[in-house]
Amino acid sequence: MTPEFTPFDHRPDPVLGAALRAALTADAETAFVARVLAGLQDRPQEYWEVLASWARTGITAVAAAGLLGGLLIGNWTAPASLDDVLAAGAGSSARVMVSSDHPPDASVVLASAEVR
Amino acid sequence: MARTIAGDRAAFGVLVERYSASVRRVARAVLADPDDADDAAQDALLATLVKLRQYDPQRPFGPWLMRVVANAAHDRRRRRKVRRTESLDSTVVAGGLDPEVETQRRALGRRLREALAQLPERRRLAVVLFDVEGYSHAEIGRILSIPEGTVRSEVFHARRALRALLAEWKEEV
Repeated sequence: MTPEFTPFDHRPDPVLGAALRAALTADAETAFVARVLAGLQDRPQEYWEVLASWARTGITAVAAAGLLGGLLIGNWTAPASLDDVLAAGAGSSARVMVSSDHPPDASVVLASAEVR
Repeated sequence: MARTIAGDRAAFGVLVERYSASVRRVARAVLADPDDADDAAQDALLATLVKLRQYDPQRPFGPWLMRVVANAAHDRRRRRKVRRTESLDSTVVAGGLDPEVETQRRALGRRLREALAQLPERRRLAVVLFDVEGYSHAEIGRILSIPEGTVRSEVFHARRALRALLAEWKEEV
């Protein structure tokens, strides 16, 4: 149709597009919109209650998330500091492990775990 | 969109006004009978409300809606065929018996609709979505659930047929 447009063209063809648009565009647009909205009025249970149920689900989900968050924050305790561990008498092995310049021997680590 | 999901009817009205022309055109690309097409368009718009739950707001709304419309029109066409065993082509041809009483524009429109009706449904939708509604090949691929390369091929074949018709028309006028 338009000389510079080939069937392979990646761009929409404005001439063909306009012709098709004119051929397919229906009149009485306002009446159609009114008809769709009237159709909605006829089926309020079928449609709006579904939407309302989603809204309820959403509110429930938000409330549950808030509750869960509150519980988690309530149960959260700060991690013990190194001084707390040493002061609690975790044993000499713990003191050796954290104060030595060298990595602890595996037996020391295992012994520490056994004590606990 | 959020207001529509929250149950705001006015918001849904705005949505319908914004997309109704496109929705009706796409329905007419599948169903030649204007009443059938409008029924399918209405079904699709109302079904949209229920299907909104499946819509991913991160993606553009237009292609998603067009998929609903294409499916609604396809379903209606299939049911109609089963019920009446009536072909789409015969409906269109039956409506175009008296071109003299039509204006040139209307006559061209009718011939284009006839030409469209002779194309496979997927090809019709591909060219209308691309050249009329302005969707990309990738978007049309998602709408029709076909690979992008197939969309390009469908648009190519549809254009070739429709451009030939338009060229004939120009020679006649």
